[in-house]
Formats: sequence, C-alpha cells, structure tokens
Amino acid sequence: MRPFNYIEAKTKQQALAAVQEQEHAKYLGGGTNLVDLMKEDVERPEALIKVADLDNDTITSNAVGGLTLGAARSNAATANHPEVRKQYPLLSMAMLSAATAQIRNMATNGGNLLQRTRCPYFFETSMPCNKREPGSGCGALDGANAQHAIFGWSKSCVATHPSDMCVALAALEATVTVQTPDGSERTIDFSDFHRLPGKQPELDNTLEPGELITAIELPKPQFTQHYHYLKIRERSSYAFAILSVAAGLKVRGGVVTDVGLAMGGVAHKPWKLTAAEDYLIGKEPTTKNFEEAAQLALADARTLEHNAYKVPMGIKAIVRTLEQAYSKEA
Amino acid sequence: MNLNTSKGTGNPIDRVEGKLKVTGMAKYASEFKVKNLVYAQGINSTIAKGRITAIDTAEAEAQPGVLAVITYKNAERLAQYDKDLHPLSTTSIQPVLQSDQVHYYGEYVGLVVAETFEQAQYAARLVKYTYAQETPDIDFEASKGKAYTPTEQSDYSRGNVAEGLAEADVTLDETYVTPIEHHHPMELHAIIGSWNGGNVQAYASQQMIDNAATTIADTFQIDKKNVRVMSPYVGGGFGSKLAAKQHVILALMASKAINRPVQLTVSRNQMFTNTNLRQRNEQRIKIGAKSDGTLTALSHDTLSHTSTYEQYQEACGTVTKMLYKTPNNSVTHRLMPMNLQSPFAMRAPGEATGSFALESAMDEMAFKLNMDPIAFRIKNDTQVDPSNGKPFSSRLLNECLRLGAKEFGWENRPQKPASKSEGNWLVGYGVSAASRRAPYMKTSAKVILELKNDAVWATLQMDATDIGTGSYTILAQTVSEYLDIPVEQVDVELGDSEYPVTPGSGGSWGAASFANGARAACEQALKDLKDKAGETAATTTVALMKAAQLSTLEAEGTAEPDEEYKAHSVFSFGANFTEVWVDKDTGVFRIKRMLNVASCGKILNPKTAFGQIIGGCVMGAGMAIAERTEVEPNFGNFITRSFADYHVPVNLDMANIDVVYLPEEDKIANKMGIKGIGELGITSVAASIANAVFNATGKRMRDLPLTPEKIFVKKEEAA
Ligand SMILES: Cc1cc2nc3c(=O)[nH]c(=O)nc-3n(C[C@H](O)[C@H](O)[C@H](O)COP(=O)(O)OP(=O)(O)OC[C@H]3O[C@@H](n4cnc5c(N)ncnc54)[C@H](O)[C@@H]3O)c2cc1C
Ligand code: SF4
Repeated sequence: MRPFNYIEAKTKQQALAAVQEQEHAKYLGGGTNLVDLMKEDVERPEALIKVADLDNDTITSNAVGGLTLGAARSNAATANHPEVRKQYPLLSMAMLSAATAQIRNMATNGGNLLQRTRCPYFFETSMPCNKREPGSGCGALDGANAQHAIFGWSKSCVATHPSDMCVALAALEATVTVQTPDGSERTIDFSDFHRLPGKQPELDNTLEPGELITAIELPKPQFTQHYHYLKIRERSSYAFAILSVAAGLKVRGGVVTDVGLAMGGVAHKPWKLTAAEDYLIGKEPTTKNFEEAAQLALADARTLEHNAYKVPMGIKAIVRTLEQAYSKEA
Repeated sequence: MNLNTSKGTGNPIDRVEGKLKVTGMAKYASEFKVKNLVYAQGINSTIAKGRITAIDTAEAEAQPGVLAVITYKNAERLAQYDKDLHPLSTTSIQPVLQSDQVHYYGEYVGLVVAETFEQAQYAARLVKYTYAQETPDIDFEASKGKAYTPTEQSDYSRGNVAEGLAEADVTLDETYVTPIEHHHPMELHAIIGSWNGGNVQAYASQQMIDNAATTIADTFQIDKKNVRVMSPYVGGGFGSKLAAKQHVILALMASKAINRPVQLTVSRNQMFTNTNLRQRNEQRIKIGAKSDGTLTALSHDTLSHTSTYEQYQEACGTVTKMLYKTPNNSVTHRLMPMNLQSPFAMRAPGEATGSFALESAMDEMAFKLNMDPIAFRIKNDTQVDPSNGKPFSSRLLNECLRLGAKEFGWENRPQKPASKSEGNWLVGYGVSAASRRAPYMKTSAKVILELKNDAVWATLQMDATDIGTGSYTILAQTVSEYLDIPVEQVDVELGDSEYPVTPGSGGSWGAASFANGARAACEQALKDLKDKAGETAATTTVALMKAAQLSTLEAEGTAEPDEEYKAHSVFSFGANFTEVWVDKDTGVFRIKRMLNVASCGKILNPKTAFGQIIGGCVMGAGMAIAERTEVEPNFGNFITRSFADYHVPVNLDMANIDVVYLPEEDKIANKMGIKGIGELGITSVAASIANAVFNATGKRMRDLPLTPEKIFVKKEEAA
C-alpha cells in the first residue's frame, strides 16, 4: 500500500474542511471497497477522511412522509431497521441480498452508492481500462465481457454498477442529499446520481469533487404489499448479481396503479425500466402483461460477445420478479 | 465422559491440538518469532510471454527500509533443468529468477526485501520492468495442434475398443470439460527462511517435509544434511504444498544475500499464479453396451495443458481403467504447452476430474439403456482390477450403492427427467460411484517412553504433517492403542525434518502410512522392553518398564507394504447421492441434500474422518457450482483473482450432508486395516450433482462449473 494521511472527522464541517486542505483526499466509509482497491493499487488517495463516525447515522422521518437514511449508517443497521422493513421492504430485501453479514455491518449507505465496478480489468493495474486510466482503452470491450453491460454502454466502457441497494433505490425513486465543500447543500434525483460512461467512464456519478453524501431521502412508503427483489448469482451468498430485478407494485381494483421496476448488473448505473413501468400502469397484473412489459424492457438491449444470455435471462427474471411481487400479498 | 482419556483408535475424540488452534497458540509457518526477521515481497510479470528488456530498481532501492531488490540480473545461479519440459514431481528443483524469459502472466520476475512487510510491498510496486512482448499461447482451442504425448506417458489399453463399440447395442461418445481450478488452502503459502551460512532452516508450510528438504538442497546444490524444514501446523494444502515452490527458494536466496532470516508470504492473488493450478481438461468418453447393460467397450481420452517449461499430466483416465468390468478399454493423456503456470496435483488428481467425465457418461448411458443408474453400475461390477488382473484388497462398491439408495430414498427419484417440481423448482436426484487409490507407503517413526508417577508417557516423533486432517489425533490414538495407555499420556511431535522420515501428507496415504509407522515404533518399543526385562510375568507397558528397570526408552520402527499388498489393487470406494432443485426459469440451482457412503477401511476417529468426507463433498460441490479460474482471452492473466470472484461454496450453498461408513477393516491394505479417506470425499461429487441436474431438467451439463448462465442457456436451447 502507498503511504497516506488519515483523518477521523467528527463533524461534517471537519470532513469538508479536511477535503479542501488535503491533496487527493477521499472520504472513507466502512472501507470495504475503497481499502480493497487501495491494496490493489487501483485507488491511490493521499489522504483518507473517515466519515463513518459522523452523526448522520440515523434514520428519521422526512418532510414528504418518507424516511431519511443517514449516509454514515451501516447497510445492516439500515436494512434491519423496523421502519425500513415496514415501509420499504423492497429496499430491505435488496440490501440483505448483498455481500455478507460482515460486510454489511461495515459498509455505509454513502459508500454503497459509490462502490466501484467489479470489472476485472478495472482491478488489474496492468490491464487497459479507461475507467481506471483514461485513454488506456477498454479491455472488456473485446475481452472477457460475460458479466458486462447490455444497456447504455459506450465503446469507452461496458462496465456495470454492482450495487443491490441502488437497484431498489432506483425503483423507489429516492433522492440523494450532498454537502458541497462551500457548505451548501443540494439534492440529486437518484436517476441522475449515477451516470452512463459516454466518453468519460472515469466518472461513475455526478458528484463534484469534495462533495459529501449526507443522506438518502425516500418518498412516501411504497410497495409495502407487492414487492420482490430477485438476484441471480453463482452462489447463495457473498456474490454479486449476474443480474437482478427490483419490482414494486400497487394494485387497486384489479389493475396496476403504481409500479417501480429496475434492474441491476446490466448497465453503468442502476437501470430503471421506464417503458415497462409505463406499459403496466392501468393493466391487470397478469403473467401475459408481465411478459409484454419484460419484452419492452429489454427491447433496447445491446449485447457484447459473451453476454447475450442476459437478454432472455433478463426477460425471465423480470416476469418472475413481478409474479413473485404480485403473489406476495395477493 | 471425557473422550480424551479413552484409549486406542476408533473413538470420536476431539482433536488433541484443537485447543492450541482455537486459542491461536498453534504456530503456522509465518508466525514464528525469529530474531532479526525481515520481509520479502515477490514481484509478478505483467505479460504472458516474452523477455525482460530493462529493469529500473533505483526508486525501489531508495525507499526507507529496503535491503535488497533481487532480479534475474543479480540473483544467484541455481541448478537448472537438464531438459526442456521438465516432468514435475514433489522433489523437482525450483529454479527462479534465472533468466530474462517470461513464460506466463504472473511469473516471479523479482523480489524486494525490506525491514517491514509494508515497506517491501510498497517498494515492490516501484520496480519498473520493460518487456519485449510476444503473442502468448493462452487459447485452449488454438493450442490443440501442439498436443504431445507426455514423457511419463500413461497410455493404456486392453482388448479392442473399436470392436467393442461395434458389438454394442447402444453407444455413447461425449466430451466433458473441467476448467482451471486452484487449490486455495486457507493458510497462504509461507516461509521463514534462514540461510545461516549454509545451515539452512525453514519454517515452511509444506505437506511433505523430506521432499521439501530435497528440493531446497538440489536447487541450491547443497547437502541435504544441512537443511532443516519445519512445518508443525499446516492450514490445508490440497496438493499445492506437496512440493516446495519457488517462494521457498526466493526467501532462502534473499536470506543468503543479506544474511538475515526472511519471511515471505504468497498473497491470495499470487496463490493463483505462483503455486500451481489444476489445468483445464477435455475428456472424451466412449462407451458401448449390450441392451442388458453389459459393457462392451470403454475409452477415455484426456487433453490437458501444461506450462511451456514443465510437464504435469493429471491421470484422468485412472478411474476408467479399473472401475468397471469391460473387455475393451483404452486410456490416453495428451498435453499441450501453454503460457500458463504449471499445473500440479490437486485434491484427488485424476479421480476428481476423471470421475466427473466417467460417472456423467455412465449416467447418460443408463438413461439411453433405460436402466436405473445404480443397477447399471452393479451390473458391471468387478472384484478383480481389470487393468492389471489383481484382485481388489476389498471392494464394497455395490454395497455402498445399495445402502445409499436405501438411506437416501432413491425409490422416490423422478423416473423421468423433468417430471417433478416444487413450486418454481424442478427436482432431481443424482448418483455416482467413487473410487480412489488407497496407497500405503514406507514410513518411520520414533517413540520415546518415560516412566513418571507410576505411569508411562509416550512421545511420538515423525516428519509427518497434519494439514488439518487430524494426523496429531489419530497418531495419539494409535500410540495409545499399541502401548495400551490413555490418549492423554501421548504427545505427538510432527513436521520436523530431524524426525524419522515419512512420505508426508498427500495422495490419501497419510493416515494409513503414519499410523502403521507409529504402530511399528510402538511394537519395537515393546519388543525392546521385553528383551530388556527378560523372564517376566509383566504384560502392561508400565510393568514392563519396571521389570526392565528403565525410566526411559527410545525405539524406532518402520512400516512398509508387504507382498500381500503388492499382489492386490488397493482402493477406497464410495457412492454419492444428491438432490438438487433447479429454478425453472433463471438457471439457479440449490443442492438440497447429499449423502456419501464410504468404504475406506478402519475408521481411526469418526469425527476427523467425517470432517474429511464432508470437506471433500463441499469441494466437490465447489467444482460443480462455481469454481473456475478464467483466463483473459487477449492478455492471458487470470480474471478471477480473489475470493470475491473465485467462488467456493458458502454455507448456504451446502445443504445437509450425511456420511455413512460401511464397516470394513482391510487387512490386506496394511496391518491396521486403514485406507485413505480425504480424496475419496471429493471424487465424483460433481458428477452426482450434474446427474441430478439432468434428472431435474432433462438437460445434460458436460462443462463444469454449472453456473446459472450455463444452465439457463442450455435450458433455452430446447425452448
Ligand atoms: C467480497 C465483497 C462482496 C460484495 N458483494 C456485494 C453484493 O453482492 N452486492 C452489493 O451491493 N455490494 C456488495 N459488496 C460491496 C459493498 O456493498 C460495498 O463495498 C459497500 O457498500 C461500500 O461501502 P463502504 O462504506 O465500505 O464504502 P467505502 O469502501 O468506505 O467507500 C466507497 C467509496 O465511497 C466513497 N464514500 C464513502 N462514504 C462517502 C460519503 N459519505 N460521501 C461521499 N463519498 C463517500 C469513498 O470515498 C469511496 O470512494 C461486496 C463487497 C465485497 C468486498
Ligand atoms: S468496461 Fe469499463 S471498467 Fe471495464 S475495462 Fe472497460 S473501461 Fe475499464
């Protein structure tokens, strides 16, 4: 590991001040991603500012009747919080499918949003990777790309975002609150938080340098009856998704009145299935309609040499997730 | 009841070293406190083939704490292979940093030695290499034109397979693929090595002490008498620690250069590139049978890769030569040189992979013949090893299959594939037969008796190792049995080259060889006592000590295979049963339950034996579920490079595993009737899982591992 400075911030002000004072500083949450990447020499911060001990580790009610999830709170303590379980069971289910109990205990909500891709070229410093080293090329584009994106990729980068939590947050249409180094605050819609690679795959998201995530805001409780998170993976725990689907439904009078649908493991960002959502509104929650929606969802998929299987698998997964969601409380 | 006060073998006593391990008191190779210790970090090549054209060490050398940067330019000259494609063995020399050539991605190209581990690691990244790169051979398909017959070739045939196939009513010709896998014991390979002006001392994590000493002596061209290797505790090996690897040589080379003891630990990432691998195998099986199930022909042709400078060939066809009665049989093995590190023995080499092919093919044949797969196997049983005409010392395979069928509820197996479901899950049962050589090797041991407080205390010494298997415990039980003293009065000291020589841990010969060696030492001690005591009515060890007027006695004994053993084929046998549930849509499957029935001689300690079989089943499940090392198709590095992406099973993947031992004491195998267990457990587990997936889905999976992606694609094919 390269030598670095280490600062334990006790307040947001301290964290924001430190990030301006230190050269090439990074915030440190639970370190489950950042420290791994430092050991691999992929991330090379010269200073770490610990933000896992800030007081934004709470879960409170917000103005719109939803919950505010503090960025410093652990994934485990968020997913297992009684109000999160009750009001956003979809989020809880997605979060508990991630990693292992040990990692979820360490990982923070802020860090989860910013965890980096699992693309093997990104991890191996001797390989070409535009995300790690802009301009070096994308090793995966014509290489081992079975786990890579089918939506929204560019020739610069075909990586996927690995988070499970974020797939549920996309379906739930959360917002992210950040503090800028000058002390002001701004909120970012979840759909605008992560970005597509375009020509700048080194940027995973729309945060500006030094910005600190302080909270995730959830809208009014949603999909408390009909929800499901399906994660297809190689082993039953401690594995990232090959692909995943988060689905929430509201059914009134035999028709779908609200729906949240997103996929993971298919794009550079959690992939909201807007066309499928639009289709389902006002329709009966039948397998046939779910199949139509799934076809629409995958219609604009573009596959690479080794990941074509993700399209039919994605269709099956969406149908199954919607069925499971609907049958949960029906 | 305190089981540790029990006497003799056969009791499920706790591990005698258990407390030391759980309290962290048992010291592993890298944990010894050695004065003046410094740390080394290996540097790995970042190309798969070519030449180093320049090395810039200046920045690394200027770092605080850095003591040496060793590359091929300043490394001492070691013994060299006398031929290209050197056949690898457990005593092969391990030349390293001897030239500018790069043979595979991740090969050692340098070493940094520093006062602290962190300094060494940091400086290692600052050494800059320039390469002249060549196009590497990293594609299995493309390398097929270069296949050759290995030097230590093991082609075999009897009868005429073509004629046998012509006579058959039903035939099969299929190819089965197992991927590159890695051993990945929990304890990383490690050494603390001290050159000591030629009195070499190495605390090293090794399975075979004596062989490690040979490799060190031969590589440095020094007298083996001056080499001491110690390995009291080993956190698993699975074959990767059978031989001393390059890191052992690197640490000693560094110690010699700077005249201080050096610690070198191979990182998890380096475990992929610097400790050997299990190579990809393509195995083509042909079977012919009469419509009543009688086999008329069986052949097994294996294509594997090795490195461009060493040869290792996994004998996948071993099992096909001997498991079933068939007049016409042939087995071949071919190797192709590739720019990947050398393969070497990994748990049940030959059997673990070979049985996946054979036992999948047997299941396919049973289906074609419309026969129950158990009945098909029983029909072709043989009590004589057809590969050499020798009778089996014992073979209870049919009994394993029958008992397993009863215990598992085989009669509930869906008769037709894809005919049983539970909600969204398709349910299937699978079975496979297992066989694994049960070798017994020459082994020596020393026992020291002491008379204290009216009781005899014994210390057993041998260079055997306990690689997590339970050697300490079964040896304490063995000494207790032969000296007729409680287990707690026995002290076992292992893993030191100053002790009598054993074959070490490997090939499932440990328990049989070590225990018989200990027995021989005890028998010698009793004989010596009786000789010294002269005419006496004394029978117990205590009474004999007193009669001989001795307070201490040392005796050495050696056990080795006799003529009876050599006149027989000695194998352990077993049967695996698995129930799987396969998701009807997504390709995900779950192992619901497993049963392993084993006939493997006398069970010295049911508890440690149980652990061996369960561990084998989990590793076999790993082969089936997800384990594979993937080669990057353009650069030749491994894209699976940590436990985050090299997926071994987690608890949730493993359902309940039941183990049943068939009572057996095979006195032909050796005097104590012991046979190997460790590798029997993994053998053919993957086939029983793949066979269950077929039973559940009607889809035959011939390419491990059975990832959701592959099952999904296969299921879609038909749709
Ligand atoms: C083996 C393994 C398996 C895993 N499996 C899964 C899985 O199946 N599904 C899944 O979703 N995840 C999985 N994870 C990833 C895990 O969820 C993330 O590592 C974790 O959520 C990151 O949180 P952290 O607090 O540890 O982040 P850190 O590692 O501390 O930080 C990650 C990034 O976030 C930045 N950061 C942290 N906090 C803030 C903040 N408040 N404001 C601004 N920037 C911040 C850091 O600077 C860094 O760039 C796995 C991880 C491992 C190691
Ligand atoms: S897909 Fe993205 S992360 Fe992966 S190699 Fe290409 S640029 Fe790098």
